[in-house]
Amino acid sequence: MQTGTVYTETIVHLAPERFAADVPYQVIIVVLDSGGRITARVDGDRVSIGDHVVETENREGVPVFRKL
Amino acid sequence: MKYLRDVTVVGAGKTPFGIFPDKDLRTLAVEAGQKALANARTDPGAIEAFYLGNFAGPEFTSQNHLAPYISTALGMKGIPSTRFEAACASSGAAFFHAFMGVASGIYDVVMVAGVEKMTCQPTARVTEILAGAGDCATEVKAGSTFPSLFAMIARRHMHDFGTKREHLSAVAVKNHENGALNPDAQMRKVITLEQAMNARPIAEPLNLYDCSLISDGAAAVVICAADRAREFTGKPVKVRGIAQASDFVALDRKPDITTFPAVRGAGQKAYEMAGIAAKDIEFAELHDCFTIAEIVAMEDLGFVERGRGGFFSFEGGTRRTGALPINASGGLKSKGHPVGATGVAQICDVVQQLRCEAGDRQLPRHGLGLAQNLGGSGASCVVTILERM
Repeated sequence: MQTGTVYTETIVHLAPERFAADVPYQVIIVVLDSGGRITARVDGDRVSIGDHVVETENREGVPVFRKL
Repeated sequence: MKYLRDVTVVGAGKTPFGIFPDKDLRTLAVEAGQKALANARTDPGAIEAFYLGNFAGPEFTSQNHLAPYISTALGMKGIPSTRFEAACASSGAAFFHAFMGVASGIYDVVMVAGVEKMTCQPTARVTEILAGAGDCATEVKAGSTFPSLFAMIARRHMHDFGTKREHLSAVAVKNHENGALNPDAQMRKVITLEQAMNARPIAEPLNLYDCSLISDGAAAVVICAADRAREFTGKPVKVRGIAQASDFVALDRKPDITTFPAVRGAGQKAYEMAGIAAKDIEFAELHDCFTIAEIVAMEDLGFVERGRGGFFSFEGGTRRTGALPINASGGLKSKGHPVGATGVAQICDVVQQLRCEAGDRQLPRHGLGLAQNLGGSGASCVVTILERM
C-alpha cells in the first residue's frame, strides 16, 4: 500500500465529458515514500500540501489516495 | 555553435484573433500568409520552403496534411511544406527550424506560419483536445485538465514563495489593459483586480480570468538571409539569438514544478547566441497561457529572482510604463490563444514594437525584444531574441 506526502493539489471545476460527473474533484501530485512521484485522485476529505496520504485503491489504472 | 549566417524577419502578418464561424482553418492561414507576403513586398514564388505550426488541426477540423494544404492555397508550388507540432509551442518550433534552414545556408527566403481553428468545437471537447498536451497515460487519465496542471504549479509556487492570489490577477489586469488597445485582440476590455480575483473557478487556485482564451487565428512571417533583407523591407529585424529545448511532458516527472527547465535552457542558449544577458532585454512577449505561466517565465528567463515574479508584477514592473514591459500586445490572455498561431504571433508582436508600429502600445525602449513560446506544462520551449537592424 503506497504512502506519500502531497506535493501539490488542485480542485478541478471544468472537466472533459468523461469526468464531468465527478466535478468538483481533487487531483494531487504525491511524493511517494518509496521514491518517485505520482498524479492521483483523492477520496474523502480535501488534502493540502504537506499532508500524509495513503493509496486506498486503483480505479482502472488511476491511483486514489486518502488523507492518513 | 557551428557557423550560422544572420537571419532577418522581413515580413509579418496576422489575422485578428477571436471567434470567426465563417473562417475555416485554411482561410485564416491564407489571410495571414498573404499579409506577410504583402508586408515583405513579395510574391509566393520567392518562398523556397513553408514551415507551419499547428497543434491539433486534425482534432478540431478533421483536416490533416495541413502544410501543403495551406502552401498551395497561398500559390506556392512544389516547395517543401511541413507541419510542426510542439503543443502550444508549435509555431515557435516551426520558426526555430525555419531559422535553421536559412541560417545554415540551405534556403535564402522561407515563410513560417501558425494557425489554429478552435471555436468550431464545444468547450468540453476543446478541454479534451488541449489535455492531449499532457501525459495521457498518467496525469490526464487521473483527471488532470490542462488548466489543472498550471493550477498545481500555481499552488506550489504560492506555497514555496508566498505568491498571492492578487499577484496572479495583477497579470491578468495588466494584459487586459494592453489588449484593450490592440485592434487585433480577441478580448478588448479593461478588467479590475476585483473582477479578476472573483471570477469563477476553473481549477483552484486558477479562475476564468487566469486562463487564456479559446480562439481562431493565424500569423505568418517571411524570413531571409540578412544580406538580402533590403530586397524585401526597409525595416528588417534580425534574429540575435534563438533556441529550442524540451523536458518531460508529465508534470509529475519534474522534481520542482515552480520552474521550467526547458525555459531556463532555451533562455540561456538564446542569450549566449546573442551575446547578451537578461538585463539587456528591453521588453518581452511571454507565454501567458495562464497567469502563473507569465510569472514563472519571468523568473526562468532571469528577469527577476526566483519567486519574485508575482510581487514584481503586482508592483507594476511589467506594465507598459514599468521597468520591463511584458506582453504589451495583451498577451495570450487578452489577444487570444489560437494555439498553433501563438509562437509566430509573438514574433510578429515583437517585430511590430521594434519597427515602431505599435501605435498606442508603442514602448519607449524598443531596441531589443524577446519572445518566449511554451508547449504543454513546459515540455517544449522556444526563446527568440530580436533586434532592429
